[in-house]
Amino acid sequence: MADSKKPRAPFAPWDRREIPGIFSVEESARRVGHYKWIEMRLFEVLGGWVATVPELDVKLRLGTHCYHHAWHAELWHKRLPELREMNPERLTAPPNDELVAFVEAMTEPEAADLTIEKIVGAYRVLIPAKIAAYTYHLNNTSTITDAPTIRSLSFILQDEMSDWRDGEMMLQSLIETEDELQRAIDHQAKLQRLLLAAGGIAGPGTIGDSYANDQEAHA
Amino acid sequence: MRKSFPVEDLARDARFVRVPIMERITDPRNAFQEQAGSSSRRAAGRLTPERPDAPDAARALMHGIFVGEIQALEGAGRTCWDFEVGAGDEEGVPEVPFELKLDMARQCWDEARHCEISIKLSDHMGTELGEFSENTFLYEAACNPDPVLRLTGVNRALEGLAIDVFNTMREFGELAGDPILEFCEDWMLADEVTHVKMGSDWLRRLTVNDKDRQKRALEFQRVVDKLFSLGGFRGEEEDSPVRLARRFRELAGFKEAEMDTLAEVAREARSEMEAQVARNKIAVTG
Ligand SMILES: [Fe+2]
Ligand SMILES: [Fe+2]
Repeated sequence: MADSKKPRAPFAPWDRREIPGIFSVEESARRVGHYKWIEMRLFEVLGGWVATVPELDVKLRLGTHCYHHAWHAELWHKRLPELREMNPERLTAPPNDELVAFVEAMTEPEAADLTIEKIVGAYRVLIPAKIAAYTYHLNNTSTITDAPTIRSLSFILQDEMSDWRDGEMMLQSLIETEDELQRAIDHQAKLQRLLLAAGGIAGPGTIGDSYANDQEAHA
Repeated sequence: MRKSFPVEDLARDARFVRVPIMERITDPRNAFQEQAGSSSRRAAGRLTPERPDAPDAARALMHGIFVGEIQALEGAGRTCWDFEVGAGDEEGVPEVPFELKLDMARQCWDEARHCEISIKLSDHMGTELGEFSENTFLYEAACNPDPVLRLTGVNRALEGLAIDVFNTMREFGELAGDPILEFCEDWMLADEVTHVKMGSDWLRRLTVNDKDRQKRALEFQRVVDKLFSLGGFRGEEEDSPVRLARRFRELAGFKEAEMDTLAEVAREARSEMEAQVARNKIAVTG
């Protein structure tokens, strides 16, 4: 260090963060409200399922993961007022009725012999959809103006990835016969259709539009 | 999935055997047990390493803790699911604040960890899962349709009991020279103080303008407290199997007067049980 008074670049040569981001404050708040809504539905149902699942290891993992998604809901709840939404309940909403229908179908299984269906819904359908939506958000928001959302997304994605892996491994260990495999496939297909109709956890455009031209891709 | 999940449907694998708590308490074989405090009575009196039955009594208590942890997990999980988020001011709609649900989700994680700890500890103590029976009273208290009563019954009464039990087990671990037992109980005790405090805080917040509801919640707590003081199981006597942990209860929001009442309830329960044992004896021996 030659001279402490010598001017240095305010952004270090290795710091490539840039201003542009595709989300306005209003659009960010809308998406964050949808995120909070779906995180709530997920932590509630994981908590509810604990008592209905006889497999001890699965019971304990659901209890642990329940808190992960509750914490995500809390992070989004706290982010909303920072995005000028002073009444967080107003934006804590599903993007459309189709997503409500998806959640109803996903949370329907109750019987003790439906663990496969429960895990498929949460871990093969919903959590991958959340990972997609959050990754899209992370990669498209302004790395300078929206740093707080990026910080939350990064923590949340770490949880989602490791919970997804836990869920997938539980499922692979539960499926032992052709019949069970078919049950998993059928339930996944049913839920995936409903999620397709919803357009993702934040509605159409959840992960942009790969068929639009560059300008329209994120409209 | 239903909004309220009955105790009969609680899902368990084939290792678990359920015995209702009243069946256990009124078991006529209790007639052959001496009064609480006698050194000859199995699974009674203060748990000390000198007792000939100490290893089995500790294993049984540990298994009881384990199944209690499962039910605490299930109960907290159901509270996440059973109620909607809202102000709770609409007639007949059970609603709870968002933050209460977050607390319950946090409790789910803690109880899941307690199950893991209990499983490892049971293994350490030479116990197989399902070796002792399970009673479902904790979960039954967690089925109360009023969220305030549910939290008071579970988080204050039953988790309060957990404070007493963990403190007793921690002391036993120390006396018996078992650092693993002492270490685990110390950590679980910290979590339980947090859970009891959640119960105390929500009771105060949700009933600040509803003294009638507060009264009902405290009554429910007393019923649960009394049941778990049965037979002098928990008390302040020198020979009580589980001692009232006043210092930790205070951290969790219990007032001195409440703990005095609890000690009184325990004394009453103990004398009632001693009378019951005497009656059983006459009935069995003629
Ligand atoms: Fe616990
Ligand atoms: Fe607890």
